[in-house]
Amino acid sequence: MSRPLGLVPHLFVRDVDAAVSFYAKAFGAVELFRTVLPDGTVLFVELAVGDARLLVSQEIAALDALAPSTIGGTPMLLTLETDDPDDLARRAVFAGATVEAPVTEMFFGERYGRVVDPDGHRWALTTKREQYTPEDIDARKPHDV
Amino acid sequence: MANGNPLTPAAFQVLLALATGPGGRAHGYGIMGFVAEVTGGAVQLGPGTLYRTLTRLAADGLAEELPGEDSRRRYYRITPAGRAVAAREAALLGRLVAAAGDAGLLARPESA
Repeated sequence: MSRPLGLVPHLFVRDVDAAVSFYAKAFGAVELFRTVLPDGTVLFVELAVGDARLLVSQEIAALDALAPSTIGGTPMLLTLETDDPDDLARRAVFAGATVEAPVTEMFFGERYGRVVDPDGHRWALTTKREQYTPEDIDARKPHDV
Repeated sequence: MANGNPLTPAAFQVLLALATGPGGRAHGYGIMGFVAEVTGGAVQLGPGTLYRTLTRLAADGLAEELPGEDSRRRYYRITPAGRAVAAREAALLGRLVAAAGDAGLLARPESA
């Protein structure tokens, strides 16, 4: 039986080197390798972010693979789990991100906040506490959500 | 980084291969061979996985590439930090394997 073995976000950005530098400073990303075309175009860079992989490519207008800053938004939220979201958010802002929602304690039992990176990709920074069951979370849900 | 977090299976297998090698060092092909042999072929680290894992271990200070005389055969060495992390992971796995034995999940060796 064929079954997926992984899920890897592939982000398109305006400037690969600036993006890789941001992810390194903000999230401790490590560049594993890059594939460069003969004309010097960076096809993609593979990063390790924690135990996850992240692919980053230069936007390609001809293929309609565009950065959020070019499109003017993104429908995607990348959720990064960490022990200390406050620290990660501080690092992200220092590296050039803007705060969309400050890190705060949430009813679902996580400390959670959101930042937007310089290319417009949105990141949720959260703990992975899993201290509540789905029933607990339902019971704690605010009425106006 | 690698502080306190469990290692990925591939990272532990590579550190184990390095720790087994003479002087805590091994080359890429040797690492792949060791992992295949010790797992009875159940785990085959491909060159791409091996490269990514070694790069990541080096970035985390758990392994280091040795300056090579032969550029086609790159040698890596486990660092003291890598040894400590691998030992911690081995102790954790040891406890789980002991519990698996208590649960009757380990195949008994054939009695002679």
